Amino acid sequence: MRLDLGVPLGGVTLATIAAAVLPFVSNDYIVGIGFTLSTWIALTEAWLLISGMAGYVSLGHVAFVGIGAYVAALSWQLLPVWLILLAAGAAAGTLALLVGYPCLRVRGPYFVILTFGLSELLKFIVVNIEAALSVSGRVLFGAPDLHDLFYMMLSLAWASLCVALIIRRSRFGAGLRAIRENEEAAETIGIAAPWFKLTAFALSAIIPGMVGALITMRTSYFDPLDSFSPRTSLLIITMAVIGGSDKPLGPLLGVGFLVLLQELLWANLPQLYMIIVGLLLIAVVVWVPDGIFGGLQRLLARSA
Amino acid sequence: MSFQLLLAALIAGSIYALVALGLNLIYGTMRLLNVAHGEFLMIGAYVAYWGINLWKISPLLAAPAAIVLTAALGVLLYYSIFRRAMTSRAFVERIEANSLLVFFGVSVILQNVTALLFTADLRGYRYEEELISFGGASLPVNKIMVLIIAGSVCIASVIFFARSTLGLAIKALIQQREAAAIVGIPIARVNLISFCIGFGMAGLAGVLVSMTEQISPFMGFPFTVTAFVVIILGGLGNVLGSLLGGLLLGVLETFGVAFTGPGYRSIMIYGVFIAVLLLRPQGLFGPGRART
Amino acid sequence: MRKIATLAAVLGLALTSAAKAADPVRIGYSLPLTGVFAAAAPSQKNAYEMWRDQVNANGGLNVNGTKRPVELVMFDDQSDPSQAVKIYEKLITQDKVDLLLAPWGTLHHVAIAPVLERYKFPMVGDTAASVTLRQMKPGYIWFPTSAWPDEMGKQLPLMLKEQGIKTVSLTTIQYPFSLEVKKYFLEGLKANGIEVVSESDYPADIRDMTAMISSVKQANPDAELSLSMPGDSVLYTKQAHELGLKPKMQFMLVGPGVAFFQKMFGDQLNGLVTMGHWSPSQKKWPEAKPFYDAYVAKYNEPPDYLDTVLSYMACQILEQAVGKVGLDKEKLRQTIASDTFQTIDGPVKFEGVVNVSTPTMFLQYQNGVFEIVWPKSEATAQLIGPK
Repeated sequence: MRLDLGVPLGGVTLATIAAAVLPFVSNDYIVGIGFTLSTWIALTEAWLLISGMAGYVSLGHVAFVGIGAYVAALSWQLLPVWLILLAAGAAAGTLALLVGYPCLRVRGPYFVILTFGLSELLKFIVVNIEAALSVSGRVLFGAPDLHDLFYMMLSLAWASLCVALIIRRSRFGAGLRAIRENEEAAETIGIAAPWFKLTAFALSAIIPGMVGALITMRTSYFDPLDSFSPRTSLLIITMAVIGGSDKPLGPLLGVGFLVLLQELLWANLPQLYMIIVGLLLIAVVVWVPDGIFGGLQRLLARSA
Repeated sequence: MSFQLLLAALIAGSIYALVALGLNLIYGTMRLLNVAHGEFLMIGAYVAYWGINLWKISPLLAAPAAIVLTAALGVLLYYSIFRRAMTSRAFVERIEANSLLVFFGVSVILQNVTALLFTADLRGYRYEEELISFGGASLPVNKIMVLIIAGSVCIASVIFFARSTLGLAIKALIQQREAAAIVGIPIARVNLISFCIGFGMAGLAGVLVSMTEQISPFMGFPFTVTAFVVIILGGLGNVLGSLLGGLLLGVLETFGVAFTGPGYRSIMIYGVFIAVLLLRPQGLFGPGRART
Repeated sequence: MRKIATLAAVLGLALTSAAKAADPVRIGYSLPLTGVFAAAAPSQKNAYEMWRDQVNANGGLNVNGTKRPVELVMFDDQSDPSQAVKIYEKLITQDKVDLLLAPWGTLHHVAIAPVLERYKFPMVGDTAASVTLRQMKPGYIWFPTSAWPDEMGKQLPLMLKEQGIKTVSLTTIQYPFSLEVKKYFLEGLKANGIEVVSESDYPADIRDMTAMISSVKQANPDAELSLSMPGDSVLYTKQAHELGLKPKMQFMLVGPGVAFFQKMFGDQLNGLVTMGHWSPSQKKWPEAKPFYDAYVAKYNEPPDYLDTVLSYMACQILEQAVGKVGLDKEKLRQTIASDTFQTIDGPVKFEGVVNVSTPTMFLQYQNGVFEIVWPKSEATAQLIGPK
């Protein structure tokens, strides 16, 4: 394995093993924070595959989270948990393949608002399905406890990071970057853009599907308006951009920063937290376009 | 019944058109995806609300204040963020994605500052609610006002863009940015004016909406969404298209719901939205070829 | 002489330090201060804070004979149930609060129930109502509500039938609670031979009900059942008025009980029936009217007949339980599970998670106040029938 891949992979794996110790050394509140961090890491790293690397910015990623949540709610107590997770991931991946085929032909800002429209459409379809079934919210009694959920989510975060790292340093990743820079040129040098994009899109959906299933187990409740909320899509983008959406390690900073900032500001004015996030986002996009991570890299490079 | 529905469609459509026009101006001239447009509408709504609650002035009188305030905020944004950003190559390369994020930040700030100042409670006031009946339908006076004001502004805009020098200059900027500079159009000034008009229209729409609906700090987002649907239907950068698209959406919403049931409203709207994006991204009323 | 002075001084010091030494009782909870449900938070927050102020004005909460001041520890859960879960875990393990009060909404109650179970921390619920709640394992959470969807589904059709209603229209917002109520209403209406001549569901973001209300008007029902939430209740009321819809009788699920609704429509609401199980006119409950007056005096508007009342009841139950057995969690759990409590809504006793003392009722707006009009045994005023 190449060194520039092995080192980050090793580092990430070691960090994950260290994090796994968390339930034994601290209370449930800290483990809960660990669960939240893992959730957003898993989501942003997956999102990176299509939006950061291929340049097709998805504003509707919550659709995959939501479909995973729905699968979990529907199959609850009918299937063992590990199978539910697999089914959730498979459903999300399938959705991406079906939807990606027509939609990835659309470019730039159109793709952004298209993905938003798609996730909202899916949300309202599920709302109407549930209404037609006379179902008003589904309760998931007997969900796994926090420690088990934490380990599962931690594994997803690890997997998502590894996938992002591996793809970035692979030919597939190079192809995606070429597509991002100039799609026509990429095609002329032999990159089958439609297949590359579709694969990236499907890959970017699978883990979020599983994340959705786990989130639903954490709250023991599924409600389409909640599980398909556009706020999730927006937060993914915000965290990834603030951290740096170019390299896989970037979102880690964004996620860590925002989650911890929230922990600090809870007690005081919660609106203040959102205002700070808004200001940060503006500041980063205008002055530090490659995110905190990119900014740090440049800083370190300059002082070296 | 149909006449009543038609009126409802026109009223809804005129607001949609007004909001979309403003958004289209800003996108058309500067390619900025203003997802905070709904929040400027919200500000206009609050100006009207406090106007009538604190100083007992009618929303019609509060409207100019709202327009001035939102336009001023727009100018502030322009000078503080966008003028600098537009000179940065990295920003301009992915301007749509970047502007989306910047405006998202702006919308979050506006929503939460408002919530901090005025709490998140739903608020509303009652204004001119006497009913007038004609032709088998009845409407409260406030809705008639909305239709007349929004309708006139939209029609005036279309005429303005077709006839006046400034309007033509803006249109030229929308159609061919580089060429516009060559023929001597002062780009920076026209950009600024577009910002003012665009945001001002959102503020006016907010005043109108507040006359008939409840307001809250978070009311803006659905209007932003419908504005985007309209400009996709009408074509990004196409001014007349926004007007027609707005009316079309109003009709679709009202009559479509009458046929299928209100639960399907969002499915229909997003369905049409996606279909147009996939099949005819330049809009239903736009030129033949797609423009990226 | 000096000895007495010294003794007096020491006693005085001891007494003042004893008063200072009364640690506050810290009670934690979360509310949706931001996010989609933010508009619902104030009703509940006001109830909790008014209770705290009243208790503290009275010297404090009675804990094992000592009066200790109440301190509320509140966090914003951003309308997100998973945030609520984290907050309650934090309150219990990190902030180590003495007691807990409930968050807002059924979703949030369901989400935190496993947390309460894991830490064996009892909490009296309030603003939650759903048939699924009955399936919850009894133990550390209780629901004082009597607005059970299935009960309402049985009772309202009976009330309508008695008034000679034969046909109804049914409009429902696509929201879990209202959809659940609709399911049971449909069953109950059918069982009582009442025909549903117009039925529509509408989405939560609806802005124009012209088409829907027009079709209700065309169907010309005897009564209109609007299963709506506060925002759309306002829209329905306004547009129904605009379109000339004059129902002979009208039921509105959630909305009328909220202060701004009453302020907005005033007398136009006379005759409107809604869900609820409290009225300040109920003489059987001596604390009801004083609570109403105190709330109006403090907040300049009537309390929310559902959320505010339930939240205050939860506080009262907690107060009485703590007054009896102190802060020990296990003892509190047993007391809450078995005792009967006196609240502004009358006596409350739990069997399992359910409050079995308060029957399902309906309210009707009559001249500025909501009166209980059903069942007759609880009524504070007579139901004004169809016009």
